[in-house]
This record gives sequence, structure tokens and C-alpha cells, in this order.
Amino acid sequence: MTNQEKIALLEDALEIESGTLNESTLLSDVAEYDSMAKLSLIVLCDEEFSKKLTGEQIKEFKTVGDILNFMG
Amino acid sequence: MKSFLNLEGKLILITGASAGIGKQLAIQLNQCGARLALIGSNQGRLESLKNELGNARHTYIHFDVTQLDKIPNLIQTLVEGEGPITGYVNCVGMRSRRPLNLLTSEHVQEIFTSNYFSFLEFIKNICKKKNYQSGLSIVQISSIASERGAPSVTAYAGSKAAVDASIRCLAKELAPKGIRLNSVVPAQTNTPIFQELLAASEGKPDPTLQRQFLGLGEPEDVSNLIMFLLSERSRFISGHALPIDGGFLIN
Repeated sequence: MTNQEKIALLEDALEIESGTLNESTLLSDVAEYDSMAKLSLIVLCDEEFSKKLTGEQIKEFKTVGDILNFMG
Repeated sequence: MKSFLNLEGKLILITGASAGIGKQLAIQLNQCGARLALIGSNQGRLESLKNELGNARHTYIHFDVTQLDKIPNLIQTLVEGEGPITGYVNCVGMRSRRPLNLLTSEHVQEIFTSNYFSFLEFIKNICKKKNYQSGLSIVQISSIASERGAPSVTAYAGSKAAVDASIRCLAKELAPKGIRLNSVVPAQTNTPIFQELLAASEGKPDPTLQRQFLGLGEPEDVSNLIMFLLSERSRFISGHALPIDGGFLIN
């Protein structure tokens, strides 16, 4: 899966307008990135990438790129 | 306690027996001299329970309760081997935390199969003539989620509320057969699932636990109530969802 496709999935799961995010977007600048969004991210990583995401790992994410790297 | 409850020799089926409250219940019922049929989906955990309790009186069944079409045969085989069932406790509870936009119908179906359809299928088969003894008591572990709203637990709460509502109906329907049904409604209890939630909470205080003015419950607090409901001492109680919540629901 390309980074563009991953970003599209992320935008969809977080209900963010398409084209808003890029790899260098700081998560602290994304208003929608709240606790429910983090929960959506856990489900997304599990379902689409078969990866278990923990609270500790989420805390380490600084940019959208960090999330894309985790997705693998 | 032993003689008060008088559960010696009774055949009690537990689904979801290999961890948490189910496991604690199995340990206590063993001490009371009950005969147990223990169903778990995790082979390793079931084996370790077998090592702990021994298999002189008990039957251990490795089974995934979502295989609904195999439940009739499972109950029939159990009754042929061990005789009629006196108690059934369902401790299976598949957790679900999903915001609405990720709540696919497949996911909801999966949660309901595990937490609701399976329970109905077990009851249907246990409550057939010759499969149970009059005085049969059925107990379900419900959750405060069925009574109080919380974001992202929509499917889980729905499945637990479905069970509680059905228990009220079945309590009336099955009373003429001498069958009672109740659910217990725990709030936060110190089980492996709670420890996982704690680890994932990033050190934030648990909002449910903050409202439990009696503190965090232990599995034994819940299993004690279940034991009472299984015994004939509770013969005047049926169709209820009984809170065991450290004060959560009145706070």
C-alpha cells in the first residue's frame, strides 16, 4: 500500500477532509486527533495491517509519517 | 459457606471458564464439591486450570462458543456422560471498543454472536427435557455498559443489554419448568482484561473506577454472588440484573 493510500485510510477513519494530511503533518496540529481518533487508529491498524497498536506506541507518534511507518 | 450453599455434587456448566471471573468461580465451586463442565476457547489456559483443579470430578471442553451449530451436540454429549445440568454460568464477553464510523455490521455481528446468540443457543439446548434438573439456575455476567452510556462501547453494550432483556423474558417463560435466570452486573473488576485496559490507559485515572466508592472489585466479589444465585438459597430471585459494582450505579 502506498503512503497516499494509507493517508486516505487515515483521513477516512479520523473523519478528516481528504487531502488535509501529509507525511510531515504534526499530530499536535490536527484538531481531530483526540482520544476517539486514537481508538479509530488502533482499529485501523488491527484490521487493515494486522498490527497491534498500544497506548505506549501511540504516545511516541509525533507526525503522520510516524503512523505510516508503523503501518509498514 | 459450603453447607449454606449446598452445591456438592451439582453439575455446573461454565462457558468462558479459563480466565478472570469464570476461573475464580470454577476454583470456588470446586471447593464446594460441585461437578464442573468447563468450556474455554484457550487450550493452554484450560490445561492449566485442569492441572489446578484435577479431572476426577470435572470435564474440560476446548470449544469456541461462536460455533453455534455445534452447541446442540456438545450439550447432548455432556448430559449423556455426566447427567442433567443443575447450573449454567456464561462468562464469555468479547470486548469491543469502536467509534461509530468503524462499527461495521460484520463487527457487530461478531460481538453479538459471541455475547448473545451463543448464550441463547446454550440455554435453548440446556433447557430441553432430560438435559436439566428442576431447580436449574442460569447466570450471565452482564456489564454496567448495558445500563450506562459510554463512547465507543456501542456494540458491547448492545450485546449485554440484549442478554439482560432476554433474561427477563425467559425468566417468565421458563419459570413453570422450575428454571431461574439472572445476570450479575459488575463494574470494574480486577481481571486480566482490566489490567490490559489499565496498561493501555496511558496512566490516566479510570473514570468508572473513580465512581466506585468501594474501590476496585476482585473476581471473588462477583463469583460469590454467582454462587449464591446458583444455589437454592436464591430460589426467590429470577429475571434480575443484579449490580455488583462497588457503588458505581448509585453514584
